Amino acid sequence: MIVVPLIGLAWQALWANKLRSGLTLLGVVVGFTSVMTIISALEGMMGAIEDDLARLGPTTFIVQKWGIVTSEEQWLEVVKRKPFDKETGELISEGCELCETVAYSTGTGTDNVQYRGTNIRDVRVSGTTADYIDIVDLEVSEGRFHSFEDDVYRRHVAFIGDAVRERLYEGLDPIGRDVRIDGVKYTIIGVAKKQGGVFGGDERDSFVMIPFETFTKHYGFRGERMNYFVKAQSLETMDQAMDEVRMILRAKRHVPYDKPDDFAILTADNILEFLNSVTRMFRLGLVGVSSVSVVVGGIVVMNIMMVSVSERTREIGIRKSVGAKQSHILTQFLFEALITTFSGGLIGIIAGFLVAKSLVGMIDVDISPSGLAITLGLSISVGIGVIFGIYPAMKAARLDPIKALSYE
Amino acid sequence: MALIETDNLWKTYIMGSEHLHALRGVTMSIEKGEYVAIMGPSGSGKSTLMNLIGCLDTPTKGEYKLNGKTVGNMNDDELANIRNREIGFVFQTFNLLPRASALHNVELPLIYNGTSASERRQQAEEALTKVELSERMFHKPSELSGGQRQRVAVARALVNNPSLLLADEPTGNLDSKTSQEMMKLFNLLHERGNTIILVTHERDIALHAHRVLSILDGQLASDERVAVGERNGASG
Repeated sequence: MIVVPLIGLAWQALWANKLRSGLTLLGVVVGFTSVMTIISALEGMMGAIEDDLARLGPTTFIVQKWGIVTSEEQWLEVVKRKPFDKETGELISEGCELCETVAYSTGTGTDNVQYRGTNIRDVRVSGTTADYIDIVDLEVSEGRFHSFEDDVYRRHVAFIGDAVRERLYEGLDPIGRDVRIDGVKYTIIGVAKKQGGVFGGDERDSFVMIPFETFTKHYGFRGERMNYFVKAQSLETMDQAMDEVRMILRAKRHVPYDKPDDFAILTADNILEFLNSVTRMFRLGLVGVSSVSVVVGGIVVMNIMMVSVSERTREIGIRKSVGAKQSHILTQFLFEALITTFSGGLIGIIAGFLVAKSLVGMIDVDISPSGLAITLGLSISVGIGVIFGIYPAMKAARLDPIKALSYE
Repeated sequence: MALIETDNLWKTYIMGSEHLHALRGVTMSIEKGEYVAIMGPSGSGKSTLMNLIGCLDTPTKGEYKLNGKTVGNMNDDELANIRNREIGFVFQTFNLLPRASALHNVELPLIYNGTSASERRQQAEEALTKVELSERMFHKPSELSGGQRQRVAVARALVNNPSLLLADEPTGNLDSKTSQEMMKLFNLLHERGNTIILVTHERDIALHAHRVLSILDGQLASDERVAVGERNGASG
């Protein structure tokens, strides 16, 4: 195949002009690096959020008063909704036949937690039923989660997050030690495995969980802040299970048939969908702005190609005199552009991932090159090569051999 | 069948409103194996004639047949094909690729007709051996003397075994001693059966050929056979 030696010729021409080819390549590399940095950082962040939501499990949904509020009007409507009452949870677990488990979770927001005079803030204190751990992907690293009995007897036991262990019990075995929350003493029975945060913070590991009934004893039943974690029996019956719960709640809360739900049902999917939709414009904008640099890279290539064609007019004349067809010249020059943009794209993609990794890669965001981003990036680098290389290459191919040969 | 047949060949350049007739009806024929010089002062139209014969250009009017094929109505690609297979050029200014080795320069025509890499290498080496440059295959043109550069160009012209060797003032940039050597090489190539057309303005050089066509004002002024005794060089 004749294309192979022509690619060889293109390569030799680039190699003969190392500095110029190198600088052109750099222009392309910078362009692709900036786009890929942004794309991979965004991908990594979205991926981390997705992983996070996946902890919920595909068959689990959350029932709560608030849901996702995106506007002021919606907020005004949501605020007026009735809080849940104590019977709601029982009604769901008894009435929903397709539900496997219903766990409760409620909380105070953030609180101060103490151990022997050391005080740490911003800890989420929540009360959960024993089966909460079966629904949410939370792993026990030491000890155990609280049991059904702990809940029924309102025992003062606590299950702590890894960040709490680190900050209060550095170097100690926390199991059996006490922890004070709002002045009340609890005994630690278990520690959760470290989860890590999307941005490297430890906020996801800063929690203390106590039995639901114990929580209610001290803080009262907080219908405003109730979350019912419902696990459906199977993925196939998930929608029906959600419908069952919806019917139970509408009846319980006397929602007229022509009015929308006055509560929210969340799934990992619809939370993700929401996140995607609110960040979409922002992400597209970032990628769009950074893409300008790729276009600039293309313009650099075109500019150098134009210079190269006029400098090498005589060479083109020589090639034509020994029998090079227009397509041969076109192919050679096009490949000079393509080799530059493709290798620039490849280097830029790798560099972009590395830069993104060092910028955002604080421990837990896993930035691994996605196949789509790589394929897309490389296709774009080829596209840029063709778009910006075709005109100079055509100019070269169409030169008149006689004029080209006498060009000084 | 003649190798080259032209019938009333015209070439007109349009410069603004003026029509410049570089060739005004040239009719001639050259047989295979001939050694012909095309002679004329600058501006006589000999370069235009050479460009037409070399298929770098097409005539405005008239017919040109190379090996029985009419060239006048061929498109760019077909002309490129003819240049590649039928014609070997030797230019006054050598026209070698400055950054490429002698070997690569000689391989060049073979690249464009799809010869495999190993065959290219072999044929180019053979061609360089024929012009006694096998020792300097990997030298770049800048590392070669004028005479050696021109011999690389001759090797490149011959590598495809073309029907016609077309030399445009091949000694124009060479000193007299090297010019003599170059003309000896042409004599030798002719003896080996190559058809050679030599374009020159020097009678001295033209007299190496066996036939001299004189061009004046775009027309054929004379067509003389050079008798053995009048010929320059050793060939007979």
